[in-house]
Amino acid sequence: MKIELKKFGTTLISRQNGREAFAAFQPPLMVLGENESLELDFEGVITFSPSWGDEFLSPLLKKYDSRLILINTDNPSVKATLELLEKINQKPFIR
Amino acid sequence: MGDEKDFITIGEAAQILGVSIDTLRRWDKSGRLNPAKISEAGYRLYYKPQVELFLNDLFGLAKDWVLKETELPPQFYCSNSAVFQTRLTKMQDILMVIPQLNNIFPLVVAVAGEIGNNSFDHNLGNWPDIAGIFFAYDVNKRNIVLADRGVGILATLKRIKPELNNDEKALQVAFTEILSGRSPENRGNGLKFVRKIVSENPIGLLFQSGNAELTLVKDDNDLDIKYSSEPFRGCLALITF
Repeated sequence: MKIELKKFGTTLISRQNGREAFAAFQPPLMVLGENESLELDFEGVITFSPSWGDEFLSPLLKKYDSRLILINTDNPSVKATLELLEKINQKPFIR
Repeated sequence: MGDEKDFITIGEAAQILGVSIDTLRRWDKSGRLNPAKISEAGYRLYYKPQVELFLNDLFGLAKDWVLKETELPPQFYCSNSAVFQTRLTKMQDILMVIPQLNNIFPLVVAVAGEIGNNSFDHNLGNWPDIAGIFFAYDVNKRNIVLADRGVGILATLKRIKPELNNDEKALQVAFTEILSGRSPENRGNGLKFVRKIVSENPIGLLFQSGNAELTLVKDDNDLDIKYSSEPFRGCLALITF
C-alpha cells in the first residue's frame, strides 16, 4: 500500500495535527495485508518536524517495523527529522 | 527630526501599532513609547519613523512582553496553535521564494515550528496567565522571534526529571538529552532537533528560559549557557538565518 503524505498537508509540524493524521489514517490501514508493505511517500512535503513525525511515524515503525518503507525523503527537514526519530525509537527506518 | 508630515496623531500611531489610544497613553506615562512632541493645542504627536522602528524591534517587543506583560500588537500574538500553524505556513510561503534560502528554508520553518509548538504542548491547560505565544519575523533582517509566558523549561522538565533544580541544567537537558519512552507525557525532544539543525546549518539561536540563556551557532559542539540578569518565567527565542 502506498500513501502520499502530502494528502495530510505540505507543512507537517505540530503534534496535534500529527495525532489527527494518524487517527484519520487508521481506517485505510485496516485493509493492509499481513505481509504487505506500507510505503509512505514524502514527495511534495515542504516542511516536516519531529513533533508531527513522532505522532505519526513512531507508532507505525513500532507496529510494522521493516514493512514500513519511506520514499522521497530528500527534503532537509524530512532527513533531519527521520534521523532524530531513529534515535528516539532506537530503530532505523527503511528508506 | 523630519518633516511635519512625519508627525502623526495618537490615533494614527495607535492604528499603526494595533493597540488602543488608552494603551498609548499608558505607554507614554510608563516611558515605554513617548510622543515626539506636544502640539500647541496640547495633543500628543508621534514621529512616524520612531513608531515604525518600535514595531520593528521584534526582540524588544517580545522581551518586554515576557518580562513585564506589556500589551502586544495583535499581529504578533498567536492565541492558540491553529493560529500559529497558519502564520507559520504563511512565513514558509514567503521564505520559500527567496533564492538564497532555497536549501535551508524548510529547516528554518521546522525550527520555528518546534519552538512554537513546544510552548503550546508544554503549557496546555497550565498557562499561568496569558495563553498563547508571541511569533514575529523580519524577512529582510533574517530573524524570527518567539516567546511565551508559560511555565518555562525547568518546570516542564521537572515533571519527568524531579531532580532538576536550576534553569541552566534544565536547558542543558532540554537541548541535549534524548528522552525516550517518557511518561506521563509523550512529548519533548523538539529542542534536540533544534540544536542539531542549528549546529549543522547557517542558523543562529538565542534561547532564554528562567535565568539561563543559551546561544548556539553552526559548528558549536558545546552548549554556551550563561546566567541571565533578567530572569522571567516562560521562554524567549531569537532565530537568525
